[in-house]
Amino acid sequence: MAVLEFEGLSKIFGSGRLEVRALQDISLSVEAGDLVALMGPSGSGKTTLLLCVSLILEPTRGTIVFDGVPIYQNGWTGGVDIRRLRREKMGFIFQAHNLIPFLTARQNVLFPLDLVGVRGPEAQARVTELLDAMEISERADCLPALLSGGEQQRVAIARALANRPKLILADEPTASLDTERGKRVMGMLKKIAQENQTAVITVTHDARMVEGFGYVYHLKDGRMDQNH
Amino acid sequence: MDLAVYDLKLQKGRFIATIIGVGLLFTIVLAMNGLYRGNIHDGLAVINATKPDLWVVERFRGGPFNEQSSMPEYYHYSLKAVPGVERASPYIIYAVERMIGNESRHFSIVGYDVFGGLGGPQKIYAGRGLHQAHYEMVAHAKLGVRLGDKVPLGLHTYKVVGLTKEAVDNNGDPVVYLSLPDAQEILYQKDNEEVRAQRERLSRTLNAQKSLSSAAAANLAETLAPDTHIINAILVRLQPGADRTAVANHIRQWLYFSVYTTPDEIQLMLKGKLSGMTKQLLLFRTLLMIISVVIIALVIYTFTMEKIRSIAVMKLIGAPNLVIVRLVLEQSLLLTLSSFLFALVSINLTYPYFPKTLLLVPEDEVVTFIVVLLGGLLASVLGLWQAIKAEPAMALGGK
Repeated sequence: MAVLEFEGLSKIFGSGRLEVRALQDISLSVEAGDLVALMGPSGSGKTTLLLCVSLILEPTRGTIVFDGVPIYQNGWTGGVDIRRLRREKMGFIFQAHNLIPFLTARQNVLFPLDLVGVRGPEAQARVTELLDAMEISERADCLPALLSGGEQQRVAIARALANRPKLILADEPTASLDTERGKRVMGMLKKIAQENQTAVITVTHDARMVEGFGYVYHLKDGRMDQNH
Repeated sequence: MDLAVYDLKLQKGRFIATIIGVGLLFTIVLAMNGLYRGNIHDGLAVINATKPDLWVVERFRGGPFNEQSSMPEYYHYSLKAVPGVERASPYIIYAVERMIGNESRHFSIVGYDVFGGLGGPQKIYAGRGLHQAHYEMVAHAKLGVRLGDKVPLGLHTYKVVGLTKEAVDNNGDPVVYLSLPDAQEILYQKDNEEVRAQRERLSRTLNAQKSLSSAAAANLAETLAPDTHIINAILVRLQPGADRTAVANHIRQWLYFSVYTTPDEIQLMLKGKLSGMTKQLLLFRTLLMIISVVIIALVIYTFTMEKIRSIAVMKLIGAPNLVIVRLVLEQSLLLTLSSFLFALVSINLTYPYFPKTLLLVPEDEVVTFIVVLLGGLLASVLGLWQAIKAEPAMALGGK
């Protein structure tokens, strides 16, 4: 079963002479364990698509089905707690890492677990497991400001994985890293997809970073060309 | 996970500085409360310490505290004859500024009949009351004298035989109790040169009267010397079972005086001399409370706006609004409560050093706490509104 399906997805900002067609008739199906890269120049609609897929931005038309549940059919279907769905089934990785600055690395990873009610030894064990996997355990009690860019991104990945999501959405996860560290982060995403059967959709503008990705889609002026 | 506490831990210095700032504002609010109560307490202290059944003063006057009243001393004999009156005592009170030790002090002198009369000190915590007709005094501890001290006032020196803590005048200055004649002498005592000049003026006036021989004028001059047996009020104690209203009406109708009960006298002060200052302090309190709430609102707003991207991230990863509301609200309450606690400790440590009486009443502190608490909640509305409307898209750098 597809983790995420969207069909005929369009997003139009403004109207009349000011109308901007940010996404035009985009369709995609992402299975568990799929590695999907969205590429394109600035203004091509990558971030808009990511916002729609994250269920933050309402498309103008089309359908979105997440984990078999219709979420959007030319309008929000209702009856679905979108924020709950995001915290339980999605993980996010950002360009600027976006760790919560007043929480240590460990607490940042603990936060999404706390949101779903996983606390105590169970939560601590999961955090330790993730930080070990990301090879950042020795920096677990540091605040984000004391971590390097690569370390912050690894903590961000650990946080995204905390609740064993079905889908990870990554927005330019390597943009603030050098090539070597960037490739290492992408390697981790591939490993996650393979080992956990988690679908990964990443937005990037760097072709070197998507080696080994199963699906690479190019966006231009809101339209998508498939190349895999 | 207590996000508010984690955030404040990171901003410890700033949080403490804010608590001190807001706490000092709250300290001023509590000081104003104390000043408000102290103003009323001081204004009524002598009345409450004296508490006769009736205060008899000059007709149409609201004396002796709210308005000046003067009457001849011997009138108290007339009052003693009124049915239902057990005792009627002459009473005088006036403010002076004299040197006590090496310091110029402002205080009030109360003169009363020391031989069983009303109006004397009720509670003496050191020494004794006045037993002699002259040259003894009982003073409030605030005057800075000790038992046995000899204090020169006017022509004579007075020995401190007792100390009291109960009575201050309506400015909060200490009260000194003297016998009535001593108090009158100090009040009406004139400079020798002034006495001579007054006599000469009187002589000239009398000598100018053609109907008077010079011998008669000289005799008259003696008898026309200014009367110093003047008092401000007569304090009345009623016989057991006497009807207070009937006695008061009798005095008003037959002796042409104004008569007040002690509660009337308190009301005269509250609505008269004390009302202006009381309203002023109330206004200051209100303004300070508003300023405090505005400052907390701004601080919380700034704290929230600095975290707005983190809040967007929290929303994006699915944090419910309750988590965000708790973060903002808890910080607001922590700031408000810590500042109030700071204020409470600092006012309780410093209130004795204020020049004016600060009367700290637990009820006032509870009411201020409730107002501060509600103010803190109100203050967080602006920050909460910003937090709630923060878009999760901000975290992705979109929208």
